[in-house]
Amino acid sequence: MSTAPAPQPPQQQTQQGKAKFNVYTIEECPACGQKTKRSFQVGDYITKDGANCSKCGNVTKITLIYAEPVVKSK
Amino acid sequence: MPTLANMSLQFGSDVSSLLNIVWLLSFFVFIVYGQRIQVYIVGNDISRALNRLKLMKDKSRKEAVDYFLSTGKTSADPAVKIDEFLEYVTIMPVDLDPQGIVGKIEHITETRDDRVRSEVKKMLPNAEPIKVSVAENILEIASSLNMIHKIVRHYYLLGKKTNSYILLVQLQMIMPQVLMEADALINAVDTFKLGQPVGDGIGPIIASKYMVNLPKQVVAKDTVMSVTEYKGRTLYVLKAEGPMGYVGEPGLAIQRVIEEMNVPLNAIIMVDAALKLEGEKTGDVAEGIGAAIGGIGTDKFRIEEVSAKHKVPVYAILVKQSILEAITVMRKDITDASDRVHTLIANLIEEKTKEGDKVLLAGIGNSLGVGQ
Repeated sequence: MSTAPAPQPPQQQTQQGKAKFNVYTIEECPACGQKTKRSFQVGDYITKDGANCSKCGNVTKITLIYAEPVVKSK
Repeated sequence: MPTLANMSLQFGSDVSSLLNIVWLLSFFVFIVYGQRIQVYIVGNDISRALNRLKLMKDKSRKEAVDYFLSTGKTSADPAVKIDEFLEYVTIMPVDLDPQGIVGKIEHITETRDDRVRSEVKKMLPNAEPIKVSVAENILEIASSLNMIHKIVRHYYLLGKKTNSYILLVQLQMIMPQVLMEADALINAVDTFKLGQPVGDGIGPIIASKYMVNLPKQVVAKDTVMSVTEYKGRTLYVLKAEGPMGYVGEPGLAIQRVIEEMNVPLNAIIMVDAALKLEGEKTGDVAEGIGAAIGGIGTDKFRIEEVSAKHKVPVYAILVKQSILEAITVMRKDITDASDRVHTLIANLIEEKTKEGDKVLLAGIGNSLGVGQ
């Protein structure tokens, strides 16, 4: 996945059982296929219009929202 | 006069006699009161688990009250109404004569759902549909936890009252599973409050890919469909209406497509989340035949009836996950299965149908956070 840098708001961590997760939103440009990964924000949903593409300027669409376990830094 | 050696011998034999008496006493105590002691130990174990369930039940109730207060922006206290909801009962139809029972169950569950939604809308008059659906889901979680706590407490108190060791031990044995399910429910509250897609939403996510930018029509309550073309086949794609937390009525929707819209379907493909067995990996994909849909069974019944009547083959694609993963925020392991699911759908369409055929693809599951 090509990932363009995007401004990152403070990450929302969610706890499930003993594990902690960060939730991410993936925005994809329908024109050039550029994918951007950012932290989930309340109001995001799949198929919602996202920000403008950093590569071609088209309006992106949210294609995925998922959680990844928090990796503990040593 | 006793010698020192004799004294120590006498003392030693006294100690061993005392130990013998203690041993014999404890033997009789265990013979007579053994079961009572075990009841006490098992009872304590269940009592601790019951306290955990009570904490979870109270937390879910508080979360529900807080959500209504923050979303409804009303000064009225929603706690009384929420407490009424938690005690709300659904009386299932009598099954002495099972003929036509599915229709009765469907009618009762529909009436209950409509009643809950109308009451929630009354309490949140100006809220968006997504917030109303989230409130419904949170209430359902709180209601489930309330019911679990009540049932466990009932059997615990009954076991103690009747000194029934068997009853308590049975309860103790199933407690780890009960706690696991309760844990999953309480963890789901945060996901629902934030409107994030849940693991069970993998079916709607797959379906939504085929529906983007296409016109949608409502084919059943909370269920939408789009028509598209895929490699010379007409593809009817349906899912619950998102991004609300609905599951829709896919059974009724498929029946309407076949019998009311008179679409001569050549295949139905259903994509759904499935509970994995211990040892299976999250995100594993399984293929099969038959109606892939959970719930109380009414939708499954309709799909089986209509597909058998019209001789439409039903293919199933399942994405494995645990109960916790199914009702909490979508994990990457599950979304990673999307590519494999799309490949399987393409293979099924190409291998089992020919150009000009009509195929229905149903994304089954909760559509929270998944538009179309």
